Amino acid sequence: MLKVQEIRELIKLVDQSSIDEFTYESEGSKIKMKKKVQGQQVVVEPVQAVSETPKPAPPSPTTSVIKKEEPKQEVKHEEVQEDTNLHKITSPMVGTFYQSPSPDKDAYVKTGSKVSKDSIVCIVEAMKLFNEIEAEVNGEIIEVLVKDGQLVEYGQPLFLVKSE
Amino acid sequence: MQSEIRKRLIEAFTNAGQEYLSGQYLAETAGCSRTAIWKHIEELRKEGFLFEAVKKKGYKIVHAPENVTADEISFGLKTEFMGRSIHYEEKVDSTQKIAHRLATDGAVEGTVVVAEEQTLGRGRLDRRWHSPKYTGIWMSIILKPNLPMHKAPQLTLVTAVAVVQAIEDVTGLLPQIKWPNDILIDGKKVTGILTELQADADRINAIIIGIGINVNQKLEDFPEDILHTATSLSVETGQVISRAGLMQAVFARLEKLYLTYLKDGFYPIKLLWEGYALSIGKEIIARTVTGDIAGKALGITEDGVLKIQQEDGEIRHVYSADIIINE
Repeated sequence: MLKVQEIRELIKLVDQSSIDEFTYESEGSKIKMKKKVQGQQVVVEPVQAVSETPKPAPPSPTTSVIKKEEPKQEVKHEEVQEDTNLHKITSPMVGTFYQSPSPDKDAYVKTGSKVSKDSIVCIVEAMKLFNEIEAEVNGEIIEVLVKDGQLVEYGQPLFLVKSE
Repeated sequence: MQSEIRKRLIEAFTNAGQEYLSGQYLAETAGCSRTAIWKHIEELRKEGFLFEAVKKKGYKIVHAPENVTADEISFGLKTEFMGRSIHYEEKVDSTQKIAHRLATDGAVEGTVVVAEEQTLGRGRLDRRWHSPKYTGIWMSIILKPNLPMHKAPQLTLVTAVAVVQAIEDVTGLLPQIKWPNDILIDGKKVTGILTELQADADRINAIIIGIGINVNQKLEDFPEDILHTATSLSVETGQVISRAGLMQAVFARLEKLYLTYLKDGFYPIKLLWEGYALSIGKEIIARTVTGDIAGKALGITEDGVLKIQQEDGEIRHVYSADIIINE
């Protein structure tokens, strides 16, 4: 099963390519994309329902709180997607986003910070499991997309990095 | 690190129980000369082990010292892999740090870093964890499960259940779990668990579980600020508890639950966890970085996430918080 960000990547690639139609099938799930040439619009059509999704999204009110904030981020994200040097650091799990190792310490990074591949950029915590997230690219943080203490979803973009 | 010969020697004594082992037998089992065996026994004596030596019968360990070196932990250990590789230090800043390094260098699953004293033991949000010399169990366990990353937090609940069961086994006390994994006796904290993940992109390289158990502290050993919120197993039982023995119990319980979890998923663990849960059905406050959520604790989800029902009926899912229970 493809992840949301992988599907996004695919859309981007199909969008930039000369192909009009793209179908991908694996382990019972199928994704079909068609381009409307005039409108430059991409349609993602999940043909078959998938029984198992990797996203552990509980139908909770907390998630709905998050969702209110999400469209805002999506907009920002679409605006800059054209630039291929931009890398998104995404959350590998559901949890609380922390900008710093403890409340009284400085943030790991902020807008303008230079990062290398193994720089720690934040912590995502769930149930006292702490996950230090690394930048995975060399570059500069150009935007912090979430607030300290915010609940983040699996695959949610946390930072935009301009890679070198 | 413990040498292979020492490992085999301790294992032979563990398996022997009350039997005496001859020098010849020990040499064959450990794969070395009888002179070497004699030297190892001398070293163990210096560490504090007491041997009973009977002519024509051989040796028996009649007392293990009250430290938590690899030798003490191995003597009596009955696990397949949990705690089979012990990295012992007298004094460290934090066992988590060492475990991270060992995991990066390819330490095997079940490797344990243990110290008699931690100078920079820490808890959630870098809070200090008081870990004075010889009084508690300050350790980090390295696991390498083949799990999707979003399931990793469940292992902190698996660990909490294992530690509660081990404390029950060794002391007969009945500890409870405060979500997600604080262990309390009569409302006072006796164990803290903090877990860290080592991952490349979406793949788990290692999970490092830090466990701090207050074992033999006396009341006066606790600093003023935690005196009324913390306790030790010794304070609760009035006895001195063998730390190595408790570690062995933790390893045995954890190994079993961990394998169950990998095979059957979180559901059996959830049932056990709820059996020990302190807060279910009570009015609680979940203190998060962004504010408090108050309401009745309903239980945990199939993933281990805390469910709180607010006064207005809305059910909130909590992933990270300090829980305060309104008695």
